[in-house]
Amino acid sequence: MKQDNAMLRVDDLTVRYGSHVTVDHVSFSVEPGQWLMIIGPNGAGKSTIINAISQGIKYEGNCYYEGRDLAKCKPRERARDLGVLSQNHFVGYDFTVEEVIRMGRYAYAPKMFSQERDKDGTALVEAAIEKTGMEPYLKQSVLTLSGGELQRTFLAQLFAQNPRLLLLDEPTNHLDLIYQKQTFALINEWLKEEGRAVVSVVHDLSLAKAYGTHAMLMQKGRVQAMGTIEDVMNPELLNATYNMDVYQWMGEMYSQWK
Amino acid sequence: MNKKVWSLFLVLALVLSVFCGCSGGEAEQGGTETGGEAAIVVTDQKDRVIELDAPATRVVALTASDCEIIYALGAEETLVGRGEYCTYPAEVTEVTMVASGSETNLEQIIALAPQVVLMNEMDQTEEQVNALENAGIRVVVNDANNIEETYESIEIIGAIVGKDAEAKAMVDGMKSAFAEMEANKAAGEGKTVYFEVSPLEYGLWTAGANTFMDEVANMMGLTNIFGDVDGWVQVSEEQVLQRDPDYIVTIAMYFGEGMTPVEEILSRSGWTNVTAVKNNAILNLQNDELSRPGPRLVDGAQLLFDMITEE
Amino acid sequence: MKRRADGFGITEYLVFTVITAAVFMVCTCVGSVNIALSDVIESLRLALNGGEIPAAIYGTYNILIRVRLPRVICVALVGAALSLAGGAMQGLLKNPLADGSTLGVSSGASLGAVIAIAFGIQIPGLAMGGTMVMAIAFAFLSLLLILSLAYKLDATLSTSTIILIGVIYSMFTSSLINLVITFAGEKVRNITFWTMGSLQGSTYTNALVMFGALLVFGGLILLKAGELNAFAVGEDNARNVGVDVKTVKMIVLISISALIGVCVSIGGTIGFVGLVTPHMTRMVVGPNHKKLLPASMFSGACFLMLSDLAARILLRPLDLPIGVITSFIGSLAFIAIFYSSRKGK
Repeated sequence: MKQDNAMLRVDDLTVRYGSHVTVDHVSFSVEPGQWLMIIGPNGAGKSTIINAISQGIKYEGNCYYEGRDLAKCKPRERARDLGVLSQNHFVGYDFTVEEVIRMGRYAYAPKMFSQERDKDGTALVEAAIEKTGMEPYLKQSVLTLSGGELQRTFLAQLFAQNPRLLLLDEPTNHLDLIYQKQTFALINEWLKEEGRAVVSVVHDLSLAKAYGTHAMLMQKGRVQAMGTIEDVMNPELLNATYNMDVYQWMGEMYSQWK
Repeated sequence: MNKKVWSLFLVLALVLSVFCGCSGGEAEQGGTETGGEAAIVVTDQKDRVIELDAPATRVVALTASDCEIIYALGAEETLVGRGEYCTYPAEVTEVTMVASGSETNLEQIIALAPQVVLMNEMDQTEEQVNALENAGIRVVVNDANNIEETYESIEIIGAIVGKDAEAKAMVDGMKSAFAEMEANKAAGEGKTVYFEVSPLEYGLWTAGANTFMDEVANMMGLTNIFGDVDGWVQVSEEQVLQRDPDYIVTIAMYFGEGMTPVEEILSRSGWTNVTAVKNNAILNLQNDELSRPGPRLVDGAQLLFDMITEE
Repeated sequence: MKRRADGFGITEYLVFTVITAAVFMVCTCVGSVNIALSDVIESLRLALNGGEIPAAIYGTYNILIRVRLPRVICVALVGAALSLAGGAMQGLLKNPLADGSTLGVSSGASLGAVIAIAFGIQIPGLAMGGTMVMAIAFAFLSLLLILSLAYKLDATLSTSTIILIGVIYSMFTSSLINLVITFAGEKVRNITFWTMGSLQGSTYTNALVMFGALLVFGGLILLKAGELNAFAVGEDNARNVGVDVKTVKMIVLISISALIGVCVSIGGTIGFVGLVTPHMTRMVVGPNHKKLLPASMFSGACFLMLSDLAARILLRPLDLPIGVITSFIGSLAFIAIFYSSRKGK
């Protein structure tokens, strides 16, 4: 193993649902400045990896953030470093957009009887609102938002939370093209600051190729290939994993626009 | 709202009917006559005519009061099956139990091969009655709602088991005992009584008008403080205190733990000023004396009469 | 940007307190027996300051101070507790139709109470002591059973698992209740009366117990209002922003069952209060639990006090079981809410 300056290190991660193994002995690490794209066909176990790292499900193996075992971290401390964007955004009640965004500061809220205050809170919330363009919607109920607006609301919550590592589960799922572009541009912008990294599950290989620095190709719970985006996105590997001629298909698709 | 309330009362009435054996509906005149050829012809309290060639020797009684009447007539050897809630006298529990009420099991009854089944109107459906009749079993429906009808029930059962003379003697005995209480009406006049069916911790329930308790009270000149409501109902504790009864009759059962029903009433906060509590004029009827249309109505009435004439 | 106060401020407390106090006064003055306002005030004065009770008002003093007042206080506290438990449950499970009873804790508590009645479990000197202790014990036992089962099936304790197990557990307990009734013999009568729910015979001791439970367990729930907000947006969301999901769930669920256990032992099963009042309160103050939970307590107290008042005076001199009133009003309101929320979508 090389010198460990990894932010996130996943060691021999295995997830089982009953007798079915969805993630099978997966290990990888992410360093600052990287954007790791987890790609692969449906049922490859991509989202399960995100769920495991964010401690949403039981798993075997270990996940370390800067050397600390995430399973043993206090949830509040974990949330200050790790920001997670889940796929499901169904909200039960009519909270306002502002209320949901502010919840991102939960991990920094002063404990009872404590003298400290969340000093940076207001500034970070305002910056997150501005960055995502949610200003006009602040007093609106989240139940009235479109899918794209809802996604941006949770992205704003994530920015307000101010983590150093983002775990995104299909961040552009069901979004219109313009929001896909906006979302990826926003995250790309965010990543530019020092000491930050992103891990995301994406379906769209073109988006993965356009924004990722690294990629992990998965199939049936196992890692097929891992490395820089160029290494992984080579025709033979993709074609074998997706069981079709990916390059030719993509080429045909895009040639229509020329 | 009303509909809701009434359906609730209906449900309750169903439950209570199991205990007190009384139910709604006006029973027409019933009667018995012993026809020629030793055949017995009986008209039950639902105006159904039942004919028997000879006195029944195998009887199933589903209602507690009918069981009591059979025992009181000395015809206990005819009883081959009893309903779940037949509990008096104690020996009756040794008789084979059959499911009664809404769980009535025809197979169980038919297996006992009775000649006659005694039942209460509320408990069984017409289909069940017809099925029993088709199996060659005579069904007699007793449905006494007042003392007069109780006499009829006794005479009907007497005729069925061939104990007419005993039945007549029993009815005469009851009549004369009640007549004596009625003759001393002055003892109770101007005094009030409160009947408690369910104790405070489960919500106060009382017996209003058209109940045996009310009828017995009126007979000895007492005024039922809840004579203005009908049947068994839940009443307000405030109203009991306000109406300040001179006597309290509780039919709460004592199961051998904790305070007796009388002690419990005496201990109630806020009741100390009630006349009956001050005078300790509280009667506990443990054995459904005044809630079943049977021969023990007299016993219950006598205990109440003794209490009001004591002083 | 103006920062909106998201807690329950002094103004809100003042408004709700005044309304609740007004309802409380009305419910104390009006009842099965009419008492003149002057006698009410005089009786209250005597009760607070002591002193000789004049013979003229002894009767009304008795009714008011020894019978009506403890009942109204109990009703208010039970209403507040049920409503708070329901509100917390709806937030935790992110389901506006959830109620404390969704967990199966109410039916578990009823089972305990029915066993206490059927087998004559009593505590000397305390009229309803046996029933209360058994109801609370069974509420806790039910919770332990439900949660350990849920953890076995699904370690993350997802909402659907809890609701499913709650439903199954309710069926299980109701079959056990019927079994106990079969063995109860002549005590069926007591059980039948008890299950209809009655706040008759409430004592100051009952009120004190309920108040204590509300102080401890209600307090615990109120301290978790912020976490409940995150749960109400989504359990994933709560975990993502840093809520200790398991611990908070545990604390809130235990508090809910304790509150329900005490309520059931005092007043039997009173349906719909925990379902409807938090829902309607949410329509007024919004979904933020820092406001919603305290407001629900006040509105739950008011709703149950008014229901009880209706039960006491509607068919004078009869006393209706309070469950009849709450279920009647509650189910109508429930249909209205359900219909309007469907139409809105």
